[in-house]
Amino acid sequence: MRHWQTVCALIPLAIAATGLAGQSRAPDGSRPAAVASGKVERITLPNYSGEVPKGPNVQVYEKDCLLCHSARYVTTQPAFSRSTWEKEVKKMVDAYGATVPESDQSKIVDYLVAVRGVPESK
Amino acid sequence: MLPMQDGHVARRRFLATLISAGGLFAAQRAFGSTFEIEPGLDFDSSSAPARTLARYPQKTDLILLTDRPPQLETPLRYFETDLTPNDAFFVRWHLAGIPTRVDVQSFRLEVGGRVNKPLSLSLADLRTKFEPVSMVALAQCAGNSRSLFEPRVPGGQWGNGAMGNARWTGVRLKDVLDAAGVQPGAIQVGLRGLDEPPQPKTPPFEKSLQIDHARDGEVMIAYEMNGQPLPMLNGFPIRLIVPGWFATYWVKALTKVTVLDQPLKTFWMDKAYRIPDNPQANEDPQHLAEQTVPINRMPVHSIFVKPDASEQLRAGQNYELAGVATDGGSGIRRVEVSKDGGQSWSQAELGPDLGRYSWRTWRASWKPAAKGTYRLMVRATTNDGEMQVTEQWNRSGYQRDVVEHQDVVVA
Repeated sequence: MRHWQTVCALIPLAIAATGLAGQSRAPDGSRPAAVASGKVERITLPNYSGEVPKGPNVQVYEKDCLLCHSARYVTTQPAFSRSTWEKEVKKMVDAYGATVPESDQSKIVDYLVAVRGVPESK
Repeated sequence: MLPMQDGHVARRRFLATLISAGGLFAAQRAFGSTFEIEPGLDFDSSSAPARTLARYPQKTDLILLTDRPPQLETPLRYFETDLTPNDAFFVRWHLAGIPTRVDVQSFRLEVGGRVNKPLSLSLADLRTKFEPVSMVALAQCAGNSRSLFEPRVPGGQWGNGAMGNARWTGVRLKDVLDAAGVQPGAIQVGLRGLDEPPQPKTPPFEKSLQIDHARDGEVMIAYEMNGQPLPMLNGFPIRLIVPGWFATYWVKALTKVTVLDQPLKTFWMDKAYRIPDNPQANEDPQHLAEQTVPINRMPVHSIFVKPDASEQLRAGQNYELAGVATDGGSGIRRVEVSKDGGQSWSQAELGPDLGRYSWRTWRASWKPAAKGTYRLMVRATTNDGEMQVTEQWNRSGYQRDVVEHQDVVVA
């Protein structure tokens, strides 16, 4: 948190400098001093990863899914049917390029149905 | 310098953390002491957890949908003002490799493809070599209000807070394209930001606009938001502004504009962000539409901001109902409110008109005469006469424009 407070303290300076440059046109192409000063803007992301719910094949889910996104991508979802979760897993592999071995896919669906599943609708 | 070298991405640090001592699971912390209850939302506690607040760099406490990549929703109380504060503005990234570090001096916007003179523009170039322009425009996630669809659909479970209204300052994309000299035969521009896919096979986030749209003189490259630099999580140092269109096109940390003589082939246009090919973006869960098109202009919608769910209402007292009405560039002509479930409607007072691409705040007074349960409703009409729909569903939960209601108890 301390690092973030430092970043916060720097922001008003940047605003003051670049804000002025934005108001005026510079037909001669001269560079506003603040932009030429070599400033680096950076943030440090906080950790809000949350809990990984326990369930069947949770290790497979952790290994294959949580590399690209956090567990909140599942825990904030409503409960869905098995066929909906199957489509989601397939989308992650086919569309998003997730590296999930074929044999793992149904195990992951089992996990998702266990933690966020509902009976199949007709 | 290659533009990608300017952006250090979160993925690298995440991977390092994962490798070092199983950091992912060791580093979990318990957040969630504060919750946000939003008007109009009726979460089923058995299937969805209460929503937690999170504070990210350069942001205030926002509703945490997901943390990696981050999706943060604006609490509705920030919608009482005409412009949404930068630190309260919603956040939505697709890929975990989001930019967390930008060198302001070495950053370049590359303009290439079917142009006479490829450009490599610094931020100073953008500020000094092009005419600055300014516009108030609504940014709204395609999936805003997704959690209100029934049956529920997978995706970010946004309430009504995946939008915000800001004054954007920057340059016209047209002026930048003209400086590069678009060649005959150009049909589209491809747009990319600094965010990186987490896996080699993950398609990088890239969108396209038709060339005439890109050159309409309204699409902007913004370097300021409400008179300040953009927060990193909202696209620092520059982002595309596509007024009237859903924010999926408003590419953050824009770093590459490519003029194309073939349609851009990408998951993000061809498979994702598509809606049923009909005016209401409507389909039946049992019979999904066969024809889909890329999502585009925002339909008209209106929401309640007040009363919020925590407000204690008493018979015989005066209350202010308030909210915002949004559309895709016609402007709001009228907002109407009902306190009896839609049997009768009265006109609300509109807030300032900040331009056709801005949202419009509205307010109305209400003095409930007796105790009981009331169904409040709101509906908006645009200057072009477009009205909201009464029923709507689609598989992705996109572009909700249903007339919304809110049930309140008067004690």
